[in-house]
Amino acid sequence: MFKNWKKTVSIILPGILLMGMLSGCGKGSQKSSSAKNSITISLHQDPPKLDPMLSSAFVDRIVFQNLYDKLVDLDSKGNIIPMLAEKWEISPDGKTYTFHLKKGVKFHDGTEFNAEAVKFNLDRDRQKNSNRKGELSAVAEVKVVDPLTVQIVLSRPYAPLLSQLTDRAGMMVSPAAVKKDGDKFQNNPVGTGPYKFQERKKGNQLVLVKNPDYWKKGYPKTEKLIFKIMTDSNVALVNLKSGQVDMTNRFPLNEVSKYASDSKIGIVNQPGPGFKGIIFNLKDPAFQDKRVRQAINKVIDREAIVKVALFGVGTPGRSALSPTSWAYDAESDKPQAVDVEGAQKLLAAAGKENGFSFTILTDSDPVSQQACQLIQKQLKAINIDMKIQKQDFGTLLDRTQKGDFQMAYMGWSGRTDPDGNFYSWVYSEGTDNFMKYSDPEMDQLLEEGRSLTDQGARKEVYKKVMQKLNEDVPYIYLYHENNVFGLSKAVKGFTPVPDGMIRTLDMTKE
Amino acid sequence: MVEFPERRSMLSIFIRRYCSNRQAILGAVIVGLLLLAALCAPLLTQYDPVYDQDYSAVLASPGGTHIFGTDDLGRDTFTRLVYGSRLTAAAAILPVAFAFCVGVPIGLYSGYKGGFIDQWIITRIVDALQAFPSMVLALALAAMLGGGFMNAMLAIGIGFLPAFIRITRAQVIQIKNLEYVQAARSIGCSDLRIAVVHILPNVMPTLLVQITLAMASAIISEAGLSYIGLGASPEQPSWGSMLRTAQSYLGTQPWVAFFPGLSISIVVLGFNLMGDGLRRALDPKIKD
Repeated sequence: MFKNWKKTVSIILPGILLMGMLSGCGKGSQKSSSAKNSITISLHQDPPKLDPMLSSAFVDRIVFQNLYDKLVDLDSKGNIIPMLAEKWEISPDGKTYTFHLKKGVKFHDGTEFNAEAVKFNLDRDRQKNSNRKGELSAVAEVKVVDPLTVQIVLSRPYAPLLSQLTDRAGMMVSPAAVKKDGDKFQNNPVGTGPYKFQERKKGNQLVLVKNPDYWKKGYPKTEKLIFKIMTDSNVALVNLKSGQVDMTNRFPLNEVSKYASDSKIGIVNQPGPGFKGIIFNLKDPAFQDKRVRQAINKVIDREAIVKVALFGVGTPGRSALSPTSWAYDAESDKPQAVDVEGAQKLLAAAGKENGFSFTILTDSDPVSQQACQLIQKQLKAINIDMKIQKQDFGTLLDRTQKGDFQMAYMGWSGRTDPDGNFYSWVYSEGTDNFMKYSDPEMDQLLEEGRSLTDQGARKEVYKKVMQKLNEDVPYIYLYHENNVFGLSKAVKGFTPVPDGMIRTLDMTKE
Repeated sequence: MVEFPERRSMLSIFIRRYCSNRQAILGAVIVGLLLLAALCAPLLTQYDPVYDQDYSAVLASPGGTHIFGTDDLGRDTFTRLVYGSRLTAAAAILPVAFAFCVGVPIGLYSGYKGGFIDQWIITRIVDALQAFPSMVLALALAAMLGGGFMNAMLAIGIGFLPAFIRITRAQVIQIKNLEYVQAARSIGCSDLRIAVVHILPNVMPTLLVQITLAMASAIISEAGLSYIGLGASPEQPSWGSMLRTAQSYLGTQPWVAFFPGLSISIVVLGFNLMGDGLRRALDPKIKD
């Protein structure tokens, strides 16, 4: 009976804390606003692991942008630009990448950043216990040519490599610090980034201070960066209004239109690179027949979901690729009109004209729950009785990984390279292929997409991939979320980038 | 046979005493209205609480065709409140019925038999359970059982057990040495007969008060669990989960929270007034 004690504690404790917080309300604020030489940003989750090798949460990556520099970065249009690597060359066969590193870069602990450090990091990221292993699976060897030149040799051409290096796989941690702290590195992270780690209070806040020796002269322009954990976006908004925080990484969707022309608070509302939708368990007898999945797909009203559950802040769609992607194919993303008759015909052909019943799992996010209730109603039109079971996100992930589900509501934050939105989800052996979808043709297409270097040719491949997914329907793509940030008007210099991260380097507060 | 008319007069005394208390009447009326709404829900409204989603009237303000407005899926708030009264009534009855059916026999046994099992096992377990505030205990149990309305009911019911066991036990210990019990024993009645026929009816008045008060607290607990997301499933019109939904719109559409909140307050008040009235009417120490 007590095997779930962890979960129990995890539910009771916040409950008690909540009571404490409520009883503490109304005592008046201690500080009217955060200090001028610091910027406070609220995050919707506490970053679990501050080590890029171990990280598996979206929110980690936001903090990482300040602690760690990457070999290459993204600009606001999604182009790959130099960062720690000043320039690079790719061999004609697409299998050797040579990076020329920036000179005079130092880690926060004073040790030098050089080709050895790059090799150390990439080797570390390819270890067995690394969460970056999959992203670097094509890497065969990392060679140090001279102190400022490093070569990555691939076992096969792998077009998404540079894009992977703009994210966690390309983040450079201090080899000296890792050797010193071992497993405890994540408690005292050391990189080359514009801010140094100062302290963290779990579940409460994370404080970073300016790195005075940052390689980009005159940057960063702010002394201190504070991340405050606020799981409820309404709470974050109240704090933004009162000046306790200067920026929020989430914004209550129902309030977006209200703040469109506010004098103190600005909103940055950008289409995100990810998708949200429904996972079928293809091992479940109810969903083995493609026609059943197609029928369900036909009656779901995506526009209604975006209009009602997301207050219009999002893009209804049928594709894994969002309009932000260079490989975006508008035709395969365009929502189709709801077709109840067509769905009924498909169900009848599958021998399920009298409908059936199943359970969908969802996390406890209000938007997910709303969307599920909308779908529940829409499926009623073809006699399908969908039950909704709510789970905390950890359990949801665990159950989908084990195949202990029929249908689940789950999405993907998205990557800038199209491969990142497909491969792990629909490749037979993909790490996020909870559907257990397996199709030799699909596998072949996905491998092709990775091995081609020409962008136009790759775009054609991903177009075929998406057309096939729309036909096979192992997953129902519903919409693309927006990244909505709330910003105090006193904060200047924030530029959104398609990966949905917050880059603070240019940010200042008046 | 001679007893019969006297019992009736006891009942009429009780009714007279209860009705002389205006607050108690108000409590009974509120509880009566809740039950009536639960029974006649489909007659009171033209909408379906789950499937009538009007996408063009999301978060509509009160008035017009939606007298209490609509929720975030365009469902009629009045309809969901009316149908929600079924869950509220169930939330009042089920945990208390569970605690009564399990707790009272244990309390009877424990109080009547005494000895090692009473002193060292039952009393200790009850002490341990009572060390937790009932809401915290219900939270822990509901989290362990995995959410869902029936699990929430069970969790709240278990939380009520200690009170029912304690009260029954204490009353039984008082009563079991009275002359009429001794008389029953001396004419050879079995323990079971003495406990059920002679002692239990005399414990009932006290239990009746406990039942009503527990019902009030069960409603709050259910609303609390649903609010946290451990109770009813999202589409079920539970007042607690309606409040949770409404929380996101407190700043923009406060009425979404207003009606379910008000309903919970009124019904809990009703049960408390009724419990208070019962206590006064049944307590021989309070004179008319």
